Amino acid sequence: MKKLLNVRNVVVGNEEIKILREISFEVNEKEIVSIVGESGCGKSMTLKTIIKLLPKNLEILSGEIYFDGIEIVKYDAMEKIRGKEIGMIFQEPSSYLNPLFTIGNQVEEAIKEKIEKKEKKERVIKILKEMGLSSNVYYQYPHQLSGGMQQRAMIAMSLINNPKLLLADEPTTALDLTTAFGIIDLLKNLVTKYNLSIIFVTHDISLAKYISDKILVMYAGIIVEKGPSNLVYTNPLHPYTQKLINCLPEKYKKGERIKTIEGQVPSLKDLPEGCPFSPRCEYKKKICENYIPGEIKIEERNVRCFKYGNFMES
Amino acid sequence: MKKTLQRLRKRNYISYISFWIIVFLYFLAILADFIAPYPFNKQFRDYPLCPPTKIHFFDHNKKFHLRPFVYEVKLVNPALNQYEIVKERICPVYFFVKGEKKKILGIFPSTRNLFGTKEGKIFLFGTDMHGRDIFSRILYGARISLSIGIIGVSISFFLGFLIGGISGYFGGKIDNILMRLVEIFMMFPAFYLMLALRAVFPLNLSSFQIYLLIVIILSLIGWAGLARIIRGMVLSIKEEEYVLAAKSLGLSSFRIIFKHIIPNTFSYSITAITLSIPGYILGESTLSLLGLGIQEPYPSWGNMLSVCIGNLRVLSNAPWMLIPGLFIFLTIICFNFLGDGLRDVFDPKNW
Repeated sequence: MKKLLNVRNVVVGNEEIKILREISFEVNEKEIVSIVGESGCGKSMTLKTIIKLLPKNLEILSGEIYFDGIEIVKYDAMEKIRGKEIGMIFQEPSSYLNPLFTIGNQVEEAIKEKIEKKEKKERVIKILKEMGLSSNVYYQYPHQLSGGMQQRAMIAMSLINNPKLLLADEPTTALDLTTAFGIIDLLKNLVTKYNLSIIFVTHDISLAKYISDKILVMYAGIIVEKGPSNLVYTNPLHPYTQKLINCLPEKYKKGERIKTIEGQVPSLKDLPEGCPFSPRCEYKKKICENYIPGEIKIEERNVRCFKYGNFMES
Repeated sequence: MKKTLQRLRKRNYISYISFWIIVFLYFLAILADFIAPYPFNKQFRDYPLCPPTKIHFFDHNKKFHLRPFVYEVKLVNPALNQYEIVKERICPVYFFVKGEKKKILGIFPSTRNLFGTKEGKIFLFGTDMHGRDIFSRILYGARISLSIGIIGVSISFFLGFLIGGISGYFGGKIDNILMRLVEIFMMFPAFYLMLALRAVFPLNLSSFQIYLLIVIILSLIGWAGLARIIRGMVLSIKEEEYVLAAKSLGLSSFRIIFKHIIPNTFSYSITAITLSIPGYILGESTLSLLGLGIQEPYPSWGNMLSVCIGNLRVLSNAPWMLIPGLFIFLTIICFNFLGDGLRDVFDPKNW
């Protein structure tokens, strides 16, 4: 398989805080990679780093991102890549669509090629149909659609230029379960249809296992575990992943109390000096408090935990 | 357009009516050559300050005439401008009568007027002290007064959107520089700025040059406050998620500002546009009133009114000289109602 995206040791932040610390991962062609983790651990920021739409007070401090032969961190014509090579969909479709224009108008606007208006319209209606929407939607305004339909329209918008990579920032969080699964199945089908790779951000590790080939588990700006989704789900190695999976309701019988992870994600302003998970970890050793563990490869997976040996941050 | 009107009619009937009144006024202004019975500068020396001519169907013998007619009038007391009807002289009103040579819309040569009399005179709104027909002058004056609003508003909104949009969207240094510029313009009281700008230019310009000058002066005064408000709105709208989505589609900054951000200020700016048109009409009137605007013999509603100022005798003896003021009032109130209605209609959530 060919590598499409290669993120190498990326650090994002400013003088005060570091949002992402030494992030590295790869996305192959026609692959779905999920990023899971609690709120505020940097999942969405990872996506925004890839498409270079970080908030003004944050910047990429070091590292490299290779996308299809282009080094993105130093590339300064992102307008050419955004929408054309990399598409993005968001959490709450209703607020990501401009309320003043019809869906047709907005999807048409995304088309980068200079073609005639009539041709554009045909293409938009065709893609709307592929997304499971009626051609009527072309003439409708965002507020006239349901959440699921809006999300489909968003997907149509981001896929109209046949991008190679789709960044999905919790696209199903704002939707109810049945609609959400409709969207998930749609995304899964798109991979083969459009030769698409997807980076899928979610809270839900079982959803991640359902949709993706690979799972990255993030905690406080660090990828603590990454590997094939089946393995990560059935046999988690990192204590954080284990606890995450232990929180899933399907692991419990009726009447049993669901365990949660004690404590909270540390504030980015006062991170522990060592492993950020150490204050909540039951396997905590002395070394955990002072050093950030390096990556170690076990059973096709990369884990960052001193439980499996003393690998320091290089 | 048709849909918008239907919605306007449904939601706000007053503003629907206002819309048609405005259209009618513009229609009058455009076809002034044809509708006005006399040219704007034609002086009837025998008829100074003649009161509005009454149109009759019954003559003094109570006899009915199918064709409406007017009586010829005669100046009996030149000192007090008193007129008397000459009862024997019945002058029927005809449509499409021959008048002076002119070009309708500046293209079609014609000698016909919409209505008029073959003998005698018809002054629907009376005459001024030079014996010029006020009705005709109002129609010609509408060309200036009504177009000054539209052109002035377009210029100042263009500037306001451009500068406010750029300033709000890019922020930082650009924002700082542009906003200080705006403040310089806002620092001066509008009225004195207007006078000062007018004073910079010579007085002996042609009337068309003066017209352009007034438009530019008024829009230069108008844009600053607007740019500031637009900037504020852009500042908040650019944080909206759909702007981020537009960025993720790789649209250019220019496109994002003018396609996604500015239209979202329309709920405010449509109202502001219609509400500021009266300001331009009044601004022109003010300048004309002070003798700095459109110069005689060219009429504008403002300079027609300016004759009345400081001339109480005229006011008490010839109140019809104030009719241009009624037209200013009508236009302003219609634009205000229209603005109210359009704001509702242009919000897609109300459909």
